[in-house]
Amino acid sequence: MTTLKIPSPLRPYADGMKEIEVESESVNAIIREIITRYPALKPHLLDESENLRSYVNVFLNDEDVRTMQGLDTRVEQDDHLMIVPSIAGGSTSNNTLAKVDHAALRTNQAMIIGLLLVAFVVDLTSLTLGVGIIMMIGTILAKPGFIFIYRLLRQWNVISPEIISDNPEPHRFANGFGSIVLFGAYLAFGLNSPLVGWILTWVVIILAGVNLFLGFCVGCALYYWLNRIGLPLFPREAPADRFPGTRPPKA
Amino acid sequence: MIHIPVDVFAQIQKNGEEHYPEEGAGLLLGKVHGEKRIVEQVLQLQNRFQPGARHNRYMIEPQDMLLAEEKADELGLEIIGVFHSHPDHPAQPSEYDRERALPWYSYIITKVTDQSAIESRSWRLTDERTFTEEQLQIE
Repeated sequence: MTTLKIPSPLRPYADGMKEIEVESESVNAIIREIITRYPALKPHLLDESENLRSYVNVFLNDEDVRTMQGLDTRVEQDDHLMIVPSIAGGSTSNNTLAKVDHAALRTNQAMIIGLLLVAFVVDLTSLTLGVGIIMMIGTILAKPGFIFIYRLLRQWNVISPEIISDNPEPHRFANGFGSIVLFGAYLAFGLNSPLVGWILTWVVIILAGVNLFLGFCVGCALYYWLNRIGLPLFPREAPADRFPGTRPPKA
Repeated sequence: MIHIPVDVFAQIQKNGEEHYPEEGAGLLLGKVHGEKRIVEQVLQLQNRFQPGARHNRYMIEPQDMLLAEEKADELGLEIIGVFHSHPDHPAQPSEYDRERALPWYSYIITKVTDQSAIESRSWRLTDERTFTEEQLQIE
């Protein structure tokens, strides 16, 4: 029999056992055996690809099995195995801020506001859909939807780039969110509810305006809040030096 | 709830201040009575993360954990958690912290700014692998 020592953080998942007696011939077989016996251990020992989590180390008679034959290391009777966690962490995620051209973002916002105002004034609901489609294309391509207008303005020297260290993902999320609201508006027009349609359109106008004129991106703030509650699709943390959603300072 | 004697708590905060602008780290040794956790000692350990990245990273290697387990056994205590500092960052777990966190342990994080400990908060990983704050009682 081989004795496997369980570290304190994993004991609650192994019926409180400090040590478990196992009869198997390799480290891998022993790990599988204890997971079969105590299925609650599995998510804490193995990752989604069924490999040992990075912080899980297995020591055979005080030697790390990674320096031996890894999980294929053979185990003899009376050997002592230990699961030893390594502890790691740190104040920020793997975030390294990218370079984001905020002039392109602001051009995008100005175009969205301008075209939606035109749509409202002349009662052109299809323009609402058009803006939504351009925003969605931008979201898919990870670029501001109206980047082509920005490029023209750059060529004509009407506008200069404003490159700032920032996370691009929250802006992409905000763009996609606005696009879906506009699709909802167009659906409301189709269902003969123009009031709902225009309210949704104005929501996008106001949020884009708050971003353009006040420097606060509501969609980005929503992204960072979703990150804070640990949703896996929102990996980027808000930069620590500013309130989530506020425009970063110029470099 | 996690209870910490005031002098032990002072050691945790001082550790963060001394390591500033790098992260300091160590282990909490104590006893667990149901949901009540009592820290009796801390074990200050070296941050083994690669030099140059210790301003936002810390690591306690398995060999240090083995020695810590022996020390805890000698004292009749258990390793009940980990403490580390966040230089110029909030006293809350980052996504990087969450990805590498172990269940059951208490994680005490201290925000340090300009070499002064500003705030310490304690966190526990849930079974859904999200962090929830744990009440920290200094006595």
